[in-house]
Amino acid sequence: MIFWEIAKRNIRLHFLRSTLAMLGIVIGVVAIASMGILGNSLVATVSDSLSSVGDSVIVTPYTGGGGGFGGGGGSSANLKITDQQFQQIKRAVAPSVAIPVLSTSERMKVGVGGDDIVAAVYGIDPQYVPDLDLKFSSGGLNNGNSGCMVGSEFAKDNNIKVGSRISMGTDGSKGTLRVTGIIEERGMSFDISTDNAILVTESWFDNTYSRSDYDEVVVKVKSGQDTAEVKKIIEKQLNKRDKIVSVMDSKATLATIYETFGAVTTFVTAIGGISMVVAGVSIFNIMMMSVNERIKEIGIMRSIGTQKKEVMKMFIYEAAIIGVIGSVIGGILSLIAGYAISALMLQSTKYLFTVATAISVGEGVGFGIVICLACGLYPAWQAANLNPIDALRHE
Amino acid sequence: MDDQPVMLFRDVTKVYPLPAGDVTALDRISFQVDRGEFISVMGPSGSGKSTLLNMMGCLDVPTSGDIYISGTRIGDMSDVDLTTLRRDRIGFIFQYFNLFPLLNIIENVTFPLMLKTGKGVDPERGKEVLRAVQLDEKLFTHTPTELSGGQQQRVAIARALINNPDILLCDEPTGNLDSKTGAGIMDLMTDLNREGTTIIMVTHDPHIAEYSRRTIRIADGRIVE
Repeated sequence: MIFWEIAKRNIRLHFLRSTLAMLGIVIGVVAIASMGILGNSLVATVSDSLSSVGDSVIVTPYTGGGGGFGGGGGSSANLKITDQQFQQIKRAVAPSVAIPVLSTSERMKVGVGGDDIVAAVYGIDPQYVPDLDLKFSSGGLNNGNSGCMVGSEFAKDNNIKVGSRISMGTDGSKGTLRVTGIIEERGMSFDISTDNAILVTESWFDNTYSRSDYDEVVVKVKSGQDTAEVKKIIEKQLNKRDKIVSVMDSKATLATIYETFGAVTTFVTAIGGISMVVAGVSIFNIMMMSVNERIKEIGIMRSIGTQKKEVMKMFIYEAAIIGVIGSVIGGILSLIAGYAISALMLQSTKYLFTVATAISVGEGVGFGIVICLACGLYPAWQAANLNPIDALRHE
Repeated sequence: MDDQPVMLFRDVTKVYPLPAGDVTALDRISFQVDRGEFISVMGPSGSGKSTLLNMMGCLDVPTSGDIYISGTRIGDMSDVDLTTLRRDRIGFIFQYFNLFPLLNIIENVTFPLMLKTGKGVDPERGKEVLRAVQLDEKLFTHTPTELSGGQQQRVAIARALINNPDILLCDEPTGNLDSKTGAGIMDLMTDLNREGTTIIMVTHDPHIAEYSRRTIRIADGRIVE
C-alpha cells in the first residue's frame, strides 16, 4: 500500500538519522543476544565438565568454621576420617556405596632423565573403581601393588603410555610404579579429580605413607535414594556431639552452581536491556521528529480523506522498518559477537549452534522489534489525532 | 439524487468557546449550492470565510444548524464517516498546492483513489485525469518540487478530481501564482465547470471571483449578499 511506500521513502529521505536509530537497536539486540549466548555457552561448558559427577555425597573432615585453631598446615594433618568413622558411614548409607579415599601430593619422575613433577596421588581400593565410574582410554584396572592408573591430562602432559614407569618420591625414594591404565577425561568433579592425578592402590598408599586414616569418603548414591537424604543421615550419625565431618551433596551444589550462572546470565542480559531502552528512546525521538516535521502533510492527508488509522499505520510502518532491519542486523551480529566471545573466553565455539543460542537471538530480535513498535506507537497516535484544521494551517 | 442540492446550509452557526468569551464565527448562515454551479465566496479576513470553508469541507461540524452534502446530514457523523465523505464527495484545492513531496506526480494524483480502493497506484486512471488538466506527459513521473507552481496546481486539481467528487472546493487557488498562470488555472476550472463539475471557490480577489457565476459575500459571520 501507499503508506508503506511513504514510510520507506521517509526513512530513505532521513537516511542518516534513521541509520543512527537503527544502530541503537542493533547495539541493543547485540548486547542482549550475545550476553544470552555467552551465558548459555558458559552453562553448557560447565555442565559438560560436571556431567560425570552423578549423584554423590562427599564426606570430608570438618576443618572448622574459619579462624581459631582449625587452619594451618600442621593441624590439618590430623584432620582425617578414621576407619571407625568410615564403617559408621558405610553402614548408615547402605545400600549406597561408601568409598574411602586417601590422597596426598608427591614429587615424582617419569621414565629415565625426566623432570621432577608434583602431582596428586589418590589411594583407592581397586574394587571401588567401577563404582567411581572410571573408564579407561587404554589399559585397564590395576590389581598389583606396584601398578598405578593415571589421568588423561597427566598422561598427555608427560607422554605416558600403558607400561610407562613412574619413580615416586625424590630420586625414587618411594619406589617405582608401572602404569596399567589411562583414565578417560572426567573433567571437574566433586569426588576425585583424576585428570591430573595418579591412582594407586590403598595398600601401596598405606605401606608408603604409613597411614590408614582417610582423607575423604565418597558415597555413590544408588538410584532410589536421595542425595539430600543421604547427607542428612551421615550428618546425624557422625556429627552427634561435635561437628566432625563436612558433607557435600553434589546434586544440591550443582543446582546452586546452575542457579548462580542463571542469575549472572540474567544480570548481564538486563544490562544489555538498558542499551535497548536507550535505543527505544532514540526511536521515540526520531518518530516525534518525523511527526513534527510532517504536521502539514498529515493535515493534507486527513483533509483529502485519509483515516486516522491510516495515518497511524504510516508511522508505525516507519518504526517497524527501523525496528525489523535493526533487530535482524543485530541478530546476525550477535551470532558473530557470540562466536567471538565464546572463542575468546571459553576457547570453544561448540556450544554456539544450539537451541539455546537460537532462543537468545530470537529474544534479542523480538525484544528489539517490540521496543521499536512500542516507541513508535505514541508518536503515531499523536499524528493520527492531530486536528486536521490546525494541522493544515501549520507552517 | 440529481434534484438534490449538492450542498445545503440551514441556519448554520459556529461558536468558538474562548476564555475571553465565546466567538461567533458563523451566525445562522443558510445557502444552497446546486449541481453544476460555480460559486465564489468572498469576504475580508476575519469574516468567517475560513470557518465556512472548513464546514463545507466537512473538516468541522456546526454548533447548531444543519449541513447536507448531497442529501447527507453531516452534523452527527463520526470522524471515520466524515473522512470517508471528504474522500469520496469533496475535492480539495489549496492555495499552496499541498502535494506530497515523497510521491511522484502519478502517485500524488492517484492518492485519494488508493485510499478509496485500498490498492496500489492505478497509473492509467492517473494519466487520464492528468491529461484532463492539460499537464505535459513528460512530467508524470517527476516529483512535485520539479514542477512550476502552475503545473503543481494542475496536479492538485487532478488529485481533487480523481474520485469524481460532487464538489470541488478551492481555497484561493491562484493566490500563490502570477496572474498569467492564475488565469490559466481559472480557464481550466471554467472548462471543468462547463463539463459539469460543481465548484465552490473561496477568494478575496475580485478578478478571480469574476470567473464564477454566483458570488456569496460574507462579513462578520453573516451572508451580506
